[in-house]
Amino acid sequence: MFAVLLVVPGMALMAVVVAYPLVSALVTAFFTQSLVLPGREFVGFQNIVDVLEDDFLRLLGQTLVFTLGTTIAPFVIGFALALALNTQIRGSKVFRGLMLIPWLVPGVVVSFLWMWIFNANYGVMNAILEPLGVSPQAWLAQPGTAMFAVIVAKTWQSFPWMMVMLLAGLQTVPRELHEAAEMDGAGTVRRFFSITVPQIGGIIGLVLLLEFIWNFQHFDIIYVLTGGGPAGSTETFATSVYETAFHGFDLGRAGALGLLWLVLLMALVVVYVRFSERSEKR
Amino acid sequence: MTSTALPTVAPAPEAPPVVVDAPGRRRRRQSSGLRSDRPGVRLASWAALIVCGGFALLPVYWLLATSLTPRDQVFSYPPKLFPTEITFDAYISLTSNPQLFTYLQNSVIVSVITALLSVIVSAYMGYSFSKFRYRGRRQLMYFVLASQMFPQALLLVTLYSVFSAYGLLNTYTALVLSFTTFTLPLCVWMLKGFFDTIPDELIEAARVDGASRLRTIHSIVLPLAAPGLVAAGLFAFVRGWNDFIFALTLAGPDKQTLPPGLVNTYVGEAATAWPELMAASLVVSLPVAVAFMLLQRYLVSGMTAGAVKG
Repeated sequence: MFAVLLVVPGMALMAVVVAYPLVSALVTAFFTQSLVLPGREFVGFQNIVDVLEDDFLRLLGQTLVFTLGTTIAPFVIGFALALALNTQIRGSKVFRGLMLIPWLVPGVVVSFLWMWIFNANYGVMNAILEPLGVSPQAWLAQPGTAMFAVIVAKTWQSFPWMMVMLLAGLQTVPRELHEAAEMDGAGTVRRFFSITVPQIGGIIGLVLLLEFIWNFQHFDIIYVLTGGGPAGSTETFATSVYETAFHGFDLGRAGALGLLWLVLLMALVVVYVRFSERSEKR
Repeated sequence: MTSTALPTVAPAPEAPPVVVDAPGRRRRRQSSGLRSDRPGVRLASWAALIVCGGFALLPVYWLLATSLTPRDQVFSYPPKLFPTEITFDAYISLTSNPQLFTYLQNSVIVSVITALLSVIVSAYMGYSFSKFRYRGRRQLMYFVLASQMFPQALLLVTLYSVFSAYGLLNTYTALVLSFTTFTLPLCVWMLKGFFDTIPDELIEAARVDGASRLRTIHSIVLPLAAPGLVAAGLFAFVRGWNDFIFALTLAGPDKQTLPPGLVNTYVGEAATAWPELMAASLVVSLPVAVAFMLLQRYLVSGMTAGAVKG
């Protein structure tokens, strides 16, 4: 009894801020309801059908592009850095500390910084790329380049976490394995694929899955950098649900979009729980 | 201690990496790095460090350089990679904007209260999860952990109406309550880890000596977990300080914190005051950097102890 009393304050917060809003947001999916007007009308699956008919597939595609880009790119950079730092180069501690800076910066600052770097008229990105033969671009204002720019900004924020997790994983690989393999004549590449990758396979799967789940619902950087534009080309489920509710005032549609989004997200979470239960048992 | 098969804690998405190793579990790992005696490995390592290092640090340099560049020099193309003239004008002009002080004040108040409330709530919760076994405990733990997987943009759709119905829109209360909730997964787990290392005998001894159950927590358990409480508090502070979407939606200009405040102040106008914005960005990032340095002691290399357990 005492034990249960101790969790009451926390659970009350969870109920008010997470559980109730979640359930009632999903319920609004079945109503026509405005953010600013009172009253609502039951419409069954109409909102969901509408969403599926207009822009669900476009949003799904764009969300997947963003999510895949911001999961794979930080993974590659983080893994490269982790492998390099694991070779015990001198000064690697200091270097590792410096690499953490992008991660410590608040999300809006990441957005401001890359907004400036990608600025069409005075941005340093154009200045760097022009000598390489790339003509100056209005990166954030063109449908063709905006998504790329947003992914770069988010990648900059994410790769240090990947690096730290993977480096910690690499440090658990017993050195004896490498030494034994080297004696048997295995080269660096061979040892990477036959020892390193299998040994840290669990952590690789974990970081990829978590990063994917987080990016699937990322909001801040997209919203500040492009607001989902230009012409909706960087809209994801997160920005679209938000815009529909707070600028379109259409709670029913936002709820319907959210319901579909949540179904996909929960499928990912189930995979994650299965995955971590399995690696726990091993 | 029984071991549960709960998913391992991972840092919250937008938060600095403060997964803490409980004190008793801290251990030195023997480094197992490849010796860099092969020229190929060495070369590849250096190439990776230079390329990725450039990607990580050049934007940081650019932030600093722009904040120190006179305003008229910023608007030239191609930009000068090394400012010929350095000025602190941008930083000085920040202090002449009273609205920024309002945002700063709101940020400090909200983040500090969030830190305190989060420590209190998650200490009790973590203690309950650590030292008691009861029906539904595992389900509660799952729920706390799962809460960080629900998209906040979706929760806000109705959270806004909830706070509106109780007249809590545009109040510190709304911000503190929502920030605190999202610190719980990490803080509860962090503190549970600390409590797990406190021997049950110690708690029983206090009980035998006649201390009440609450008294035992307050005078025996919490002092022993003090480092964990500090770490959890710092994490919660950073979470509140960095939040964007809740502060943007639930508060207006007089109660808004710095992240949405800066967006409202600088973004969207045709000619943005880049040196000021970069200066403000640097200033906003400083408390986070300080908190991180204080936390580093807890951010031992075993931050993945749970995740890698395997």
